[in-house]
Amino acid sequence: MDKDIKFPLKVEELESYIKSKFENNSDEDLMFSIYHHQNKKIAVFGIRYLIDSNNLGSYLLSPLLERQTTWTADALLNELPFENGSSTNNLDDILDKIILGFVYLYIEDEQNVICYSLMQEEERSLDKSETESVIIGPQLSFTESLKTNLNVMRQILPTADLVIEKIMVGNAIPREVRIIYLKSVANKDDVNTMRQRIEEVDVEELEDSTTLSQYISDSTYSLFPQFYLTELPAHLAYTIKEGKIGVMVENSPNAFIGPSTFFSFFETTEDTYLEWLQATSLRILRLVSIPLALFLTPLYVAILTYRYELVPSDLIITIGQSRAGVPFPPIIEALLIELMIELLREAGARLPTKIGQTMGIVGGIVIGQASVDAGLTSNVLIIIVAASALASFTTPNYLIGTSFRVIRFPLIILAGLYGLIGLTFGVCLLVIHLLTTESLGRPYLAPLYPLRLQDFKRVFFRVPPSHNYRRASMYRPRQHKRYSKQDASKIRNIKK
Amino acid sequence: MKINLNISPGERIRAHYLFFIIIGIQIGVGILGAPRYIAEHAHQDSWISILIAYIGTLIITAIMFAILSRYENTDIFGIQHHIFGNFLGKFMGIVCILFFFIQLLTTLITYIEVVQIFLFPSMPTVVMTFLLLIPICYSILGGLRIVVGVVFLFSFLSFWIVVLIYDPITRMDVTHFLPMFEASLTDLLKGAKATTFTLLGFNILLYIYPFIDNKENAKKPVYLGLTFTGFVLLVSTIVSIGYFSPNDISIMSWPVLSLYKSVQFSFMERFDYIVIVEWMLVVLPTSILLMWAIVYGMERLFQVQQKASLLGSSILLLILCLFITTDLQIQKVTNFVGDIGFWFVFVYPVILFPLVLLKTKRKPLKEVQNEKDS
Repeated sequence: MDKDIKFPLKVEELESYIKSKFENNSDEDLMFSIYHHQNKKIAVFGIRYLIDSNNLGSYLLSPLLERQTTWTADALLNELPFENGSSTNNLDDILDKIILGFVYLYIEDEQNVICYSLMQEEERSLDKSETESVIIGPQLSFTESLKTNLNVMRQILPTADLVIEKIMVGNAIPREVRIIYLKSVANKDDVNTMRQRIEEVDVEELEDSTTLSQYISDSTYSLFPQFYLTELPAHLAYTIKEGKIGVMVENSPNAFIGPSTFFSFFETTEDTYLEWLQATSLRILRLVSIPLALFLTPLYVAILTYRYELVPSDLIITIGQSRAGVPFPPIIEALLIELMIELLREAGARLPTKIGQTMGIVGGIVIGQASVDAGLTSNVLIIIVAASALASFTTPNYLIGTSFRVIRFPLIILAGLYGLIGLTFGVCLLVIHLLTTESLGRPYLAPLYPLRLQDFKRVFFRVPPSHNYRRASMYRPRQHKRYSKQDASKIRNIKK
Repeated sequence: MKINLNISPGERIRAHYLFFIIIGIQIGVGILGAPRYIAEHAHQDSWISILIAYIGTLIITAIMFAILSRYENTDIFGIQHHIFGNFLGKFMGIVCILFFFIQLLTTLITYIEVVQIFLFPSMPTVVMTFLLLIPICYSILGGLRIVVGVVFLFSFLSFWIVVLIYDPITRMDVTHFLPMFEASLTDLLKGAKATTFTLLGFNILLYIYPFIDNKENAKKPVYLGLTFTGFVLLVSTIVSIGYFSPNDISIMSWPVLSLYKSVQFSFMERFDYIVIVEWMLVVLPTSILLMWAIVYGMERLFQVQQKASLLGSSILLLILCLFITTDLQIQKVTNFVGDIGFWFVFVYPVILFPLVLLKTKRKPLKEVQNEKDS
């Protein structure tokens, strides 16, 4: 930086200085206009495509040039119709802000340069959620614009209790990160932990909220996600009301939530919209699908490789007939089909939606039916693999579903190598791994361990509103009570 | 060595987990073969022997609580140090650790034998030992809270086995218990002593006590745990005797396992295999708690790093498991542990108790609490 350049200076000096800083950029990008007004030179400069040109013309330039008396820096600040004006005499500041869409005004020989934000933000409009699908309830999903996302959150939770803290992360390319929680509910320690972890992130740049969640996660070697990633504002609001802490990052359509438990990945906001009995059934279905997704194929491999006596004779005849022509041992057979399913899934996710759907159907039918006809796999295995794939789709969260996909393969191999003992070994390791995992220093398997029976009715079941008056205590909220039990149990009929 | 321990709140565990700790460490491989050893002596009156042994465990536990209540917050190592002095205290500490080590070894080799005989004759012992040692080490590295969590969750995951016993119950023959009260008192006591191997381990209380958060509630879960173990042992022995017969089970290696052979569903049968596999979830808590006690003891006595003693004892266990493979050797080690265990777990606290009383009476209690030897 040229140290000798200081305010006040001539407009030409400023122009050559600013242009020197944008040396290799195209001249068209930098707008630097000099106006003569009342015998004074006024420089107006900024980056052309960042600035809203309508606002610039009608609200800034016209009042500027139509005034009859001379301008001073103070007058500029006070009389132009913008709310976010500021003044500076530091040349570094100018460079920092000009790339954020600020327009600068400089009157020759003044001490200060005045700037206004006229940023024209380009963003996509709010849309329906794509990755987390909702049947009833709010469908809105976050966009890439943090401002819009915060606006949406404030709309959903219109209370002064909602705190939105700001932290900048990234040394070379700073990015805005927001911590969002309810002051009267969220645990203070958790908020401090979250804030401290984000503040201590020491990286050059931050790509997305998902990257941030990896930087601040408790254990990067864990198989399981430690923060719940969501693109649904309604889900974020729901968990915040529970006492958790959300984090949003500029330019990311996903927010993440901590502390999260293993079982929180199986909760959806939809459970709250449904009647408690239906919601409980659905939630239990989702929980039952965890062992189905993980253990069904390994069990098939283990039992058929080593201990088919476990299967009653009528059933083993059926299975035996369908396996009669298959030339591979069960483990190869299972790995083959599982791999096919994973290929289908991954291809379906990468392809455009319309082609993806067609390919899913075609691939599923063709590969499944043809491989049975060709005698490469048994019918029974196709059913089992399809069932476990379906079971893994029931998880409301994409991240935990991915974890299951990854875990299944080692389990199949263990089952193929050492049969049921190998599988049990795998289960033991998995349970111990879940026990050692933490999210924001809180146990991952809560409320199972540490055991909190009170929380079961919020995690595993839904209960009628008259019993649902407490928050889950495993997140250590500051307020346990949500509403009064007595009031909720009253039946309000209008008496004649 | 400090006699009393300061445990930070983060390391403490709630008292109600003691229930699972007690049943986790007591119910292990022993129970699979226990009816046979008891019936050898007490025949159809084995259930009386079990009741005697159960009452014995209650009394010993009461004595252990009485010993612990004389101190502020200590474990067996602190007590031995206080009573026997530095050298002898450390020696007794080593004996404690060695005993746990042999108990752990017995658990592992017995389970490996069961798996190899019933399920997997071709399974190499090395692999099987690794399959057991890896979860043990993994959970111990997580600290006591994880250890307790594993014990707790695994107990839950294996509770359902007990329910399956309804099938043999429906086929029991009551005449197997007649004539009643035939066994002499000595036979009954011998039968009670034969349960020792199964009931061993509840002296973990003397090790884990300083880590209990709310000590005033510690007694109930411990006694309940002992009762649960006694009940399971009683049921499995009664059903074994009723289903087979006192004479039959004395020639069966693992009568409880054979009980499950007859359980059958339309989608699955041969539940004895399932029980053996599921028994891994019963063996692991026992082994993990024993290993924790070993590692903790080494750290407390000689300030050995947890990882070092964990690695050392794992390697030693692996080597020993490779050498002790024949049934005869395993029987010998099991009997040895049973015999020593009787003296160590049932008699030792009774001897220790008056010594503790004497020592703590001579000095006022407060001094004991604040005394710091080095």
